[in-house]
Amino acid sequence: MRTRILFHLALAVCVAALATTGCKSRKKAAQPGGVSSAPTLGDAGGIETGSRPPEGSTYASGRYAPVYFDFDSTAVRPSELPKLQTVAADMRSASGKLIVEGHADERGTAEYNRALGERRAQATREELVKLGVPADNISTVSYGEERAADPGHDEAAWSKNRRCDFVVAGQ
Amino acid sequence: MGTSIKALLLLLALASPAFAQVTVSKGAVKRNFAVTGFAGDSALAGQVTDVLKNDLRLSGDFQLSPAGSAEYVQQQGTVRIEGGDVVVECVVVATASKQAVLSKTYRYNAQSVRQVVHRLSDDIVQTVTGQRGIAQTKIAFVVRRSNAKEIAVMDYDGFNVRQVTTDRTINVRPRWSPNGRKLVYTSYKSRFPDVIEHEVFTGIRRRLAEFPGLNTGAAYSPDGNTIALTLSRDGNPELYTMDAGGGNLRRLTRTKPGAESSPTWSPDGQTIAYVSDSRGSPQVYLIHRDGGEPTRLTVSPAYNTEPDWSRPPAGAPLPPMIAVTSQVGNRFQIGVASGASQEVPAVASDGGDCQDPSWAPNGRHLVFSKTANWRSRLYVLDVLTREQIQLPAVDGDASEPAWGP
Repeated sequence: MRTRILFHLALAVCVAALATTGCKSRKKAAQPGGVSSAPTLGDAGGIETGSRPPEGSTYASGRYAPVYFDFDSTAVRPSELPKLQTVAADMRSASGKLIVEGHADERGTAEYNRALGERRAQATREELVKLGVPADNISTVSYGEERAADPGHDEAAWSKNRRCDFVVAGQ
Repeated sequence: MGTSIKALLLLLALASPAFAQVTVSKGAVKRNFAVTGFAGDSALAGQVTDVLKNDLRLSGDFQLSPAGSAEYVQQQGTVRIEGGDVVVECVVVATASKQAVLSKTYRYNAQSVRQVVHRLSDDIVQTVTGQRGIAQTKIAFVVRRSNAKEIAVMDYDGFNVRQVTTDRTINVRPRWSPNGRKLVYTSYKSRFPDVIEHEVFTGIRRRLAEFPGLNTGAAYSPDGNTIALTLSRDGNPELYTMDAGGGNLRRLTRTKPGAESSPTWSPDGQTIAYVSDSRGSPQVYLIHRDGGEPTRLTVSPAYNTEPDWSRPPAGAPLPPMIAVTSQVGNRFQIGVASGASQEVPAVASDGGDCQDPSWAPNGRHLVFSKTANWRSRLYVLDVLTREQIQLPAVDGDASEPAWGP
């Protein structure tokens, strides 16, 4: 196989630079993030993630039904909201901490799936905050694709693995 | 927008001599090399000969051939055990000049026969090509142990596998410090994903990032002073930098509900490439290390993740490039983005799902994982010749390799 190695890179980069100069007028909102001023902490457009339960906490899982997601989506389906209302009804007044565990199915790359699982956990957490659960009482964990609920390799399994589980931490 | 980044990319391209019209056909850069062998204890001599042949093959610079047609000949050397040491004597002669280009005696602890030969092989590569070889480098990776994932380190050829963690939890995405003394990885040991710094030689560990939410994707800057990583402490997975020892945290992106992941640094340490799905499917973007407007690097295929930016030394055959994992249909392949086009061409796509590319310090070889029949193995690809070899299988699935300095 004859392989032409690496294009005429300098030339091509010049062309690319020229081609994208037109982006200048594009609205900032269309840009994929980036803060044009000096980087700051805090306000990332979300609700600051709740602190972790203290060391030595006990963890109870399986009390609430998991919330499921569409492929490559982090939006909480309207059909899943009743499950969150059940969780919120308990957690609004509970003293313990709630951990939302986000998961992805095995398709997709590992680190991207960790970010995707976290987005799912954060989206779920925001719904719970809207339903009256104190924001600092909910922390998140993303397991990416590491903890499948169903070990199968088909859509029936994957649809069960794209989920958020709920774990209640106590002392 | 992103003018400084484009200027940097341009500089990177210009700084490399290699984008001048280099046309390489498979095997064209290889020199014929004859390994004559070694006298001495036959088992030991056989091992030294085998490792040397394998190293020279893996270097990509040599084609093994009979002495009659060789440009370089390793004349019969000797190998012996002396005290607790292994001693290897080796002479390499250039056929054209009839001059010895290498004549050297190596003495190592006898436990490290392979290391002696790796050293010899790197000396041959250095002598003939002027480039530093990769035979003495290490690869860190993730190995599955039943329901756990642990970090392991091995020689670049897949031998001498050593498990670095035994936490029986999830430890993933190792990355090396530039001096090769430390690894950073994501550990769920505390039940939450933390970024751990791990001194490879002492085993001393420290938690570098344990904020609420996700702490992952840590990658050292080329000078080793800064770490880029993904955190969700502010309510969404975003890209941050911090001092290598922790502290001095800075957020670079604000993309809710998009997620940023997998940062990798440009060779000059001024630019960070990373993955964002803020415009739909995940693609690679570039941002200045101090923040500002990102520039989109990739558009096609529709899914590009796990960027790894090569840092080839001066005079290397390939310029700095960004390897990625692309998804095409339901399959994963390794692609290499050069900045020349937003379309990423594939360099490895056959025989299974290819993922997790990581460059060797020569900016020419890539290690990656390939999954077939739900088993994941590590492979090394020579991007220049497109030759691919499978590393010796380890016990348990191997994934997320990181080639050390």
